[in-house]
Amino acid sequence: MSLQIKPILLALRRHKAGTVLIALQIALTLAIVCNALFIIHQRVVNLSERSGVDEANVFVITNQWAVDRSTRAIDAQVQADLAALRQLSSVRDAASATGYPLQGGGWDNFVTMTPDQVKPTTDSAVYYGDEHLLDALGLRLVAGRNFRPDEVVAVGTQQAISPPVVIVSKALARRLFPDGSALGKSFYAMTPTPTTIVGIVDPLHRQGASQWDKAHAGQSLIWPARPDDARGIYYIVRAKSGQLAAAMSEAPKALYAQSRMRIISPTDGIQDYAQIRHHVFDSDRGMAILMGIISVVLLAITAAGIVGLTSFWVGQRRKQIGVRRALGATRHDILSYFLTENLLIGFAGVVVGALLAIVINLWMVTRFEMDRMSLAYVGVGVIALLLLGQGAVFAPALRASRVSPVEATRSV
Amino acid sequence: MLKMSHLSKVYRTEVVETYALRDFNIDVKEGEFVAVTGPSGSGKTTFLTIAGLLETFTGGEYHLDGIEVSNLNDNARSKIRNEKIGFIFQAFNLIPDLNVFDNIEVPLRYRGMKSAERKQRIMESLERVGLASRAKHYPAELSGGQQQRVAIARALAGSPRLLLADEPTGNLDTQMARGVLELLEEIHRDGATIVMVTHDPELAARAQRNVHIIDGQVVDLAEEPRFHAHAGAGVSQGQA
Repeated sequence: MSLQIKPILLALRRHKAGTVLIALQIALTLAIVCNALFIIHQRVVNLSERSGVDEANVFVITNQWAVDRSTRAIDAQVQADLAALRQLSSVRDAASATGYPLQGGGWDNFVTMTPDQVKPTTDSAVYYGDEHLLDALGLRLVAGRNFRPDEVVAVGTQQAISPPVVIVSKALARRLFPDGSALGKSFYAMTPTPTTIVGIVDPLHRQGASQWDKAHAGQSLIWPARPDDARGIYYIVRAKSGQLAAAMSEAPKALYAQSRMRIISPTDGIQDYAQIRHHVFDSDRGMAILMGIISVVLLAITAAGIVGLTSFWVGQRRKQIGVRRALGATRHDILSYFLTENLLIGFAGVVVGALLAIVINLWMVTRFEMDRMSLAYVGVGVIALLLLGQGAVFAPALRASRVSPVEATRSV
Repeated sequence: MLKMSHLSKVYRTEVVETYALRDFNIDVKEGEFVAVTGPSGSGKTTFLTIAGLLETFTGGEYHLDGIEVSNLNDNARSKIRNEKIGFIFQAFNLIPDLNVFDNIEVPLRYRGMKSAERKQRIMESLERVGLASRAKHYPAELSGGQQQRVAIARALAGSPRLLLADEPTGNLDTQMARGVLELLEEIHRDGATIVMVTHDPELAARAQRNVHIIDGQVVDLAEEPRFHAHAGAGVSQGQA
């Protein structure tokens, strides 16, 4: 193959327009497809992001109060509701919460190691929950213990609290105490009094899944508190294994039996985690599909361009191919001539395309706060484009190799 | 050198069989300069394409330089074309994208020859046709006569056993044609075997021997009064 490179380059120099156009098309396709693949991969990773929840069995009820009531009355109602839910034969456990992993309301607290520290060490998503929350979500306790009932306080969610104990996610524990000694240690979460880590769960995703949340996605803490927001509350319910549907059907009836002064939306008031995931990652899935379609279309257009141009060149050079065959070229020589020609154009295209891919990514990093793309994407893209080129050129090159040497004697 | 015995070439369609060559016999000895003549459609070009292994034949035998070629595969035929045959076409058939040097290099590259040897052979053959100074020119920058000289240089560079020329002066004016013909005669004097297809009686007369084809068969001119009337006395057959 190498023996043909010089004459091919010489011939290409005389067909600049077509050569440059195809090389540019390959370059642009590579640049866009690399970044599209990177975005697709990121979004697909999002789709499978671990929440820490026993998703097969957990569902969430969004419960709003129909009338204003005192905090004390709400707390009493919540306790009664939870007792009713836990009594259902299909339910394993239930807890009230201000938010739940991947979705739901919630907020962050800055975390510091000393009370007068100005610059926070990091920040953490904040959950409120009682001693049932871990079991209701199905969280895995990897160190320490759960809350004791006497540690749990009833508070309005807007109140600033500073309980003496806290359960943290492993990601937060590691961030605060990289040497792994977090259990029993204290930190400050926007309060003047310290809080001590009594348990570590792993994992526990924050309440959001947006790009903004990415850096601290796994950093969460749980305060031992029963939320009693006057507007509404989430009930996290974990069904017994295999009884999710039954539990989802029985739970609202049990709640309405306790009190009808509540609103549970018939459309999305009760959602299992499959629905939550579907809803949360809707845009990720949409973006991945869109990028996939764009990539496929671009690759198809590029392949078609290569097929078209090579077919045109083969038609144009029929006589020349016949002359080459007459002068001793084998079919394989002709086939390899066109494959090599495409490879050379492809190389030029992928070199430009690789640089362009990196530039586009850097622009998106600065413009849209995207992550830096691994060069592996460029590598995969380069190989894919070169293989695509060889695949696309094969049929016209094969046609060229079948041109008879007798063409050399035919007048044009 | 080139021997065809009872050779036939049939073009078949669904409804008709056309014999381009029928019971065709020819024997060209080493060092001969043979002109193959005949009217349009007589089978001259078919003979040339089969002789040059550009096309297969239907029946009979063909020995080229002692090799029976009828059963050779495509690769073997390519190799023989490359190593044993030099082609000179009416339309020159230079590759327009390549300069003179690179054009002559084409068959040598297919032979897998080393670069230094290629260069030496190219320059030698260019000097022989008097175009050493035009090595970097493109075909479009040369006259017709010069282009045909380049084509002859390309044919000679591979030191072929046989030169096949198809109307080598057909696209040239009289003066250029004379120059090319003189060059062919010179090459022949140096020992080359040349088979030239032409319909030009004057050109054929310069060859050592004439073979005349009519309706796909070699004919003896003495027994073919039609041809005498048509072609005049310039062509003869069977000269020593």
